[in-house]
Amino acid sequence: MAVDAISLEVFKNLFAAVAEEMGLTLRRSSFSPNIRERLDFSCAVFDAEARMVAQAAHIPVHLGSMPASVAAAVSHFDSFAAGDVVVLNDPYHGGTHLPDITMISPVFADGALRYFVASRAHHADVGGMTPGSSPLSTELYQEGLIIPPVKLRAGGALNDGVLALMVGNSRNPGERLGDLQAQLAAQRIGESRMQALMREHGVTASAEHAAALLDYSRRLTEAVIAALPDGSYRFSDAMEGDGQTEFEIPIKVRVDVKGKTMRADFTGSAPQVLGNVNAVPAIVRSATWYCVRLLAAEDIPVNHGCFAPVAVVAPAGSILNPRFPAAVVLGNTETSQRIVDAVLGALAQALPGSVPAASQGTMNNFTIGGFDGGAPFVYYETLGGGHGGYRGGDGISGRHCHMSNTLNTPVEALEYSLPLRVWRYHLREGSGGAGRYRGGDGILRELETLVPATVTINSERRLRPPYGLQGGGAGALGRNRIVRAAGEITVGGKAVAQLKAGERVIIETPGGGGWGASAGATAREG
Amino acid sequence: MRAGVDIGGTFTDFVLIDEGKLRIHKVPSSPQQPERAMLAGLSALSGGDLTALEQVAHGSTVATNAILERKGARAALLTTAGFRDLLYIGRQDRPELYALQPRIAPPLIPRERCYEVRERLDARGQALLPLDMADLDRAIDQMQADGIDAIAVCFLFSYVNAAHERQVQKRIMQRGLLAEAWQVVLSSAVLPEFREYERASTASLEAYVRPVMSRYISRLERALPAATSLRIMKSDGGVMRARRVRQAAINTALSGPAAGLIGAAQLAAAAGLHKIITLDMGGTSTDVALVAGAPVPRPEAAIDGLPLRGRMLDIETVGAGGGSLARVDAGGALRVGPESAGAKPGPAIYGLGGEQATLSDANAVLGRLDAARFLGGAMPLDLAAGQRALQKLSRPAGLSVAETAQGVVDIASVHIERAIRRVSIARGHDPRAFTLVAFGGAGPLHACEAAARLEIPRVLVPPAPGVLCALGLLLADVAVEFSESVMSAASASRLAALVADEARLRARAQAELAREGIAAADSICAASLDMRYAGQAYELNIPFSAEAIAAFHRAHERSYGHALPERQVEIVNLRLHGSGITEKPSIRRVQEQRHAAAPFGEKAGPNGSALKLFEREALQAGAEFSGEALVFQLDSTTYLPPGWRARVDGMLNLLLERQ
Repeated sequence: MAVDAISLEVFKNLFAAVAEEMGLTLRRSSFSPNIRERLDFSCAVFDAEARMVAQAAHIPVHLGSMPASVAAAVSHFDSFAAGDVVVLNDPYHGGTHLPDITMISPVFADGALRYFVASRAHHADVGGMTPGSSPLSTELYQEGLIIPPVKLRAGGALNDGVLALMVGNSRNPGERLGDLQAQLAAQRIGESRMQALMREHGVTASAEHAAALLDYSRRLTEAVIAALPDGSYRFSDAMEGDGQTEFEIPIKVRVDVKGKTMRADFTGSAPQVLGNVNAVPAIVRSATWYCVRLLAAEDIPVNHGCFAPVAVVAPAGSILNPRFPAAVVLGNTETSQRIVDAVLGALAQALPGSVPAASQGTMNNFTIGGFDGGAPFVYYETLGGGHGGYRGGDGISGRHCHMSNTLNTPVEALEYSLPLRVWRYHLREGSGGAGRYRGGDGILRELETLVPATVTINSERRLRPPYGLQGGGAGALGRNRIVRAAGEITVGGKAVAQLKAGERVIIETPGGGGWGASAGATAREG
Repeated sequence: MRAGVDIGGTFTDFVLIDEGKLRIHKVPSSPQQPERAMLAGLSALSGGDLTALEQVAHGSTVATNAILERKGARAALLTTAGFRDLLYIGRQDRPELYALQPRIAPPLIPRERCYEVRERLDARGQALLPLDMADLDRAIDQMQADGIDAIAVCFLFSYVNAAHERQVQKRIMQRGLLAEAWQVVLSSAVLPEFREYERASTASLEAYVRPVMSRYISRLERALPAATSLRIMKSDGGVMRARRVRQAAINTALSGPAAGLIGAAQLAAAAGLHKIITLDMGGTSTDVALVAGAPVPRPEAAIDGLPLRGRMLDIETVGAGGGSLARVDAGGALRVGPESAGAKPGPAIYGLGGEQATLSDANAVLGRLDAARFLGGAMPLDLAAGQRALQKLSRPAGLSVAETAQGVVDIASVHIERAIRRVSIARGHDPRAFTLVAFGGAGPLHACEAAARLEIPRVLVPPAPGVLCALGLLLADVAVEFSESVMSAASASRLAALVADEARLRARAQAELAREGIAAADSICAASLDMRYAGQAYELNIPFSAEAIAAFHRAHERSYGHALPERQVEIVNLRLHGSGITEKPSIRRVQEQRHAAAPFGEKAGPNGSALKLFEREALQAGAEFSGEALVFQLDSTTYLPPGWRARVDGMLNLLLERQ
């Protein structure tokens, strides 16, 4: 079967449907609110050379980082057998941060390895210093159980010992077991659907079209880059501290656009830091590719081809390419957002009319854990905020931006299963940056714990607000407060606190930056 | 005399049964006042004497259009204090992952009409804070000044305990804010389920369309004789008496595709086919559904980006129809839809100024539409304009015009294929065991090619594919559904205790069916349980029995490939579904006399092949012919590819089979 404009579209849909179906299985049979309600997972199909062919669109930060997982599995094992499932979470061997557990299954046809299917889900607790496994850590060992690539299933036989070890290192083992079984079910579905696809359409035709799809996405991405004016664009933004100390941690980028290729060089960004905001290179690539993907009007299928025209450079030993065992848990959620702000800030110089002002630039992670009548519980949540205004429209309010798109945990799901109570959850009126086009508003969420608990907050944009563009004002800063019997205190962007029963935490998320000057707007460009 | 009336965007279709005989009628729709076309058609069919009409079953897009055109009621929302922005925060996600300038569907109720009232229940329904009447009165004062005509009330945990929501309704009526109690929509009544955003969204949709539907139904009732019973189609494939629209208006929003599905399922069943996939293809979209014995329900859908939960049929809709635009993208791939040329300018062949190629243009270039016979000759086609549009498209694609046209048709087939996969393979059904039932204006044109992609062996085209939805209205049964939140661990003793609850729900359902005029002998009630493993969020629906726990483990194994027998199983809801079997028109069956059908003509296809041409009306039961062929009729065209055979059965269905 020759590849033409028509069959290309056919196979694009076929591969995407496999990834979609894996995601559906995971969602419907999982146990933790984080997977079943917040959909904090992604599924994808890879070719035998570990190049991503199709991804079910869920979480952007996963998109560029899952290929590293498959590559790690391939380099770690000499051979695969049908029925294998490799599991890993080690950020220095194919992972990003420990809560994200990735499973990879080889798919065989006619006795040869043809594809991999992979799923990645954020598991609410994998051990570590504080419940929710997002601690204010100073080395990887403090962040939870490290899983190098291992075969959880070998030739179809489940390794009960590995599963028990993983489950036993979590604060909520029952939920972990159920979620891991759901993830295994998704892997099984993916494997059998890929085999059916090859049976129906032929092994050769499938392979030719997988390759053609990568080429197709590469051409589309090249067209996007070629449309940008050639040049060097620089931008600098900063993180607000590493959870140990509050200090500016510069994230610098120089984006070189030349013809159909782009190079993003992060040289000049801070050296690696003691705390938890270091980001492994897979995240830096993810965030950069995401920015390029945003510029494309066409609905480019997200696969390896999108990545080929974009080179990413981050010097070893820097915050964006740390050396083992640097702490990394926030690299995935917070540093990734700042990389996007920096790259988009640079691209705004190439495309001043279309790049929006900065969005909230954080995921406002918080975890609460403890014991409820002897039973352990862990709650992990992230919060949306304001989006940047853009020429022609105000930024949207109260939504996740850029590298995240997880859903919230409904209050009624949360309070049914956890000893927590939500008292307020609404928009922060007026928190969006002023401008001809206003930034969107942030969110306020107030929670009470009904039992003694540990709360960990990991957030950004509490000191340096999301920038406005073209004369638009900055968005309002976020703010984290703890309400104790004795009174209310404001805590930093990254904080751990022990709460007594009846105490509350109030999180206010940042507004988006405004776009374009208006009367009364305080201009602030990053 | 009984009539089924389906109001569509372009035509209003009628199917009338009079003393066992079926009659079909079609008049242009009157979108400004949809009932005008309906009454005109009914009047014509009944010879001006509407009193002869015992019953009218009706499907309309009034609710859907009110939402799409944002022309619903002036509605307000009342929430628990602290949660005013429920509709505006949604689930915190943005609809498109990779949008440089993200947008969201604007909620139906503006933020300034969202009010907070102090009150709070916990997850078990215990009041943490009582309903603050002073707060409520303040909100009522503000709403009074605002001139609203419907109010949605969504308090946290009202699905466990509706007392606060009911108190609000009572107070609003006491204060005389609204004229009728039904203008207050309680989320606990509309959707007694957890997840506050989805419940608030559903209640808001209901409040937004209920006054509109209520006025519409009132006008219809006034125009019809008092003795004529009026039934309205619902999204779950059942009908209800019109009066109930004032409790469940939003349940009509997805009724159009449901009516077609019911019509297709019953026609196929009459032909002895119980496993079917329906393909309803119109101008802008295609609806696909699977029926294995009975239509499959689903719990949620979105209308214009706004989530709706409730009982509806599992129908996949894809943005591919006759008017779908074709283009070559920057990467060199040919794309079809979801953008549509709409009714104006429409496809290039309509000659209304459309220049960009559409699926209909591709069909015309391939010779599959007859320029003179389209819509019975009411709309002559401009084939040259279609040719020009395809030519323009073929250049960047680097293909010949005929190849490009075939490509556009193939890609439309792929869209259909993906939708069929989602309702079949993705749910564990092998499409090769099914018959594809094709209807709608464009369904029969694409059915064989879509079927071939999934090795579906047989296609059925009903005698009047264009009015199948109107027929479905007449064939639909009365459906009522009652549910109760159970929320407890499953055990043999709990199941035994539920027997009494089941009996109570059954009595309610039977009483409701009696009010619908259904005899006890024609009532069927079935109880089921929504079950899950404790900790999961999605339930599987299991028939109510003492063996339900074991049945749940088996269903989980079937759906997801594994069961967890050591896990605690939870019962979330007890449901009772009641059907009132309505009188069905008997479908006439004649003796099939096998004979070769003679085409009335032949024409050259795009690659020199010969296309045989048939008139549907001239085809008798038992007629047989083989592809490549076209069958023309007033409301549709059927394409039979080479390698396929057609046979007309005793009910005048066209059965198309691959050789």
